[in-house]
Amino acid sequence: MIFENVGFYFREALLSFRRSTLMATAAVLSITTILIIVGVFLLISVNSNLFLKNIESQLEIIVYLKDNISTAELSNLKNNFTSMDGIKEVKFVSKEEAYQRLLKSLGEQKDILSAIETNPLPASFEIQTKDPKMIKQIANQIAELKKVEEVEYGQGTVEKLLNFTYIFRRAGMLILALLIFASILIISNIIKITVYARRNEIEIMSLTGATSWFIKWPFIIEGFLQGFISAILSIIILYKFYFFAINKVHQVIPFLPLVVGNMDLLPIGISILLLGSLVGILGSMFSVGKYLDV
Amino acid sequence: MIRMFHVYKNYPNKIQALRDINIHIRKGEFVFLVGPTGAGKSTFVKLIYRGIVPTKGQVIVDGINIARLKPGYIPYLRRNIGIVFQDFKLLYNRTVYENISFGLKAIGATNFEIRQQVKKVLNLVGLEHKKKIKPHLLSGGEQQKLCIARAIANEPLILLTDEPTGNLDPYTSWEIMKLLFHINIRGTTIIMASHDKLMIDKAKKRIVRLERGRIIEDTQRGIY
Repeated sequence: MIFENVGFYFREALLSFRRSTLMATAAVLSITTILIIVGVFLLISVNSNLFLKNIESQLEIIVYLKDNISTAELSNLKNNFTSMDGIKEVKFVSKEEAYQRLLKSLGEQKDILSAIETNPLPASFEIQTKDPKMIKQIANQIAELKKVEEVEYGQGTVEKLLNFTYIFRRAGMLILALLIFASILIISNIIKITVYARRNEIEIMSLTGATSWFIKWPFIIEGFLQGFISAILSIIILYKFYFFAINKVHQVIPFLPLVVGNMDLLPIGISILLLGSLVGILGSMFSVGKYLDV
Repeated sequence: MIRMFHVYKNYPNKIQALRDINIHIRKGEFVFLVGPTGAGKSTFVKLIYRGIVPTKGQVIVDGINIARLKPGYIPYLRRNIGIVFQDFKLLYNRTVYENISFGLKAIGATNFEIRQQVKKVLNLVGLEHKKKIKPHLLSGGEQQKLCIARAIANEPLILLTDEPTGNLDPYTSWEIMKLLFHINIRGTTIIMASHDKLMIDKAKKRIVRLERGRIIEDTQRGIY
């Protein structure tokens, strides 16, 4: 039955666009607006996520070593770190390197160091963790190892920062969920209005003995098309707008990390497409069902 | 063709629309359903096409007990029943031709069958030359004829008409009546709810009179 009449269903759906151009245009424009709002929020959320990740990836543990450490003990320690869970990268900074870094950072004031005869700086390891949340636990573990003088990871600040990123992410997810929920309600209501305008048609079809699926299919296709076309429109508008906006932002803050890869933006496009089409399909299906009870 | 046994219908607002209805309408009969507004005529008609189910009692249409009919089978019952409404219920954004072809497509007719059948019924009601225009350009009588054409397009066993001459002048009304007689002669059972004293007296057909939900008169060749 479905396959026999596919052509008819599509023709009916397309004809209905032509028969009620105004209604269909109004519906598409409204749905497009809603999807753009969702899209803007999605773009903001992926970018702030990238920003947070960037901050978190800069967190590291610095392990200062005792001066009397031997080469064997050094490589022993290094092996120890690499065998630990949750460690991403270990970098050794020798006493000499540390001294050179200090010289560099002092710049023209490097003469201060001439007052000191020996290199007072300790050798150290710079350790990055896979998960920033584990930083405290790993630091404590390392502090207990032999020949470790001191461990530093920005105690206090790190906890606050992680707390902030956690709340920020949760709030973002909550807002996103509410926004998607609201957009589903609004889109399905728009679809419902377009179906309501044609309730006579549904009633007549039902009275002439059309099966409920025969009646539903053209509406489902129409709902899908409305959602799909709106999604495509909003994706095009968002895409143009987004690259225009990030150009402007980069002019003002050049080093701000922003999502620019088409591949990274693809999931957002797919989400909008799915949101538009699925709500279009389901919205019209349920709305027609309501008027089928004659 | 249609039998009702002790049928009661109560609506949620506690109105008793029909009370203890017993009737037998044979195949090929022409029955006028008369009575004041609110007597239960529309409820009676709705029961036949299963727009509603009885609160109590049995309604048998062409051997089918409509109360036991599963929702999925309702469309198949309705394919044997043509319905003509007083308010036409035409699709004004489709042409005369499409208003009829639409219903035929819905019941799975092929394009060839649809063309044949639409031509046949449009000829019968005399609207063949207006098939390409939209219904709002038709007169009231023509719109009613179009409704009849749509209702009989799939050659139903039963034709239900709810005050089909309600808004028409006497001349046009009689034309519609003649059309219905013609359809009746070809074997279709017709049930017509009406107030139209003039037509009913002239027709000399079976009259079923409803009042406050009860049948108070059922006479062959009756007058209003």
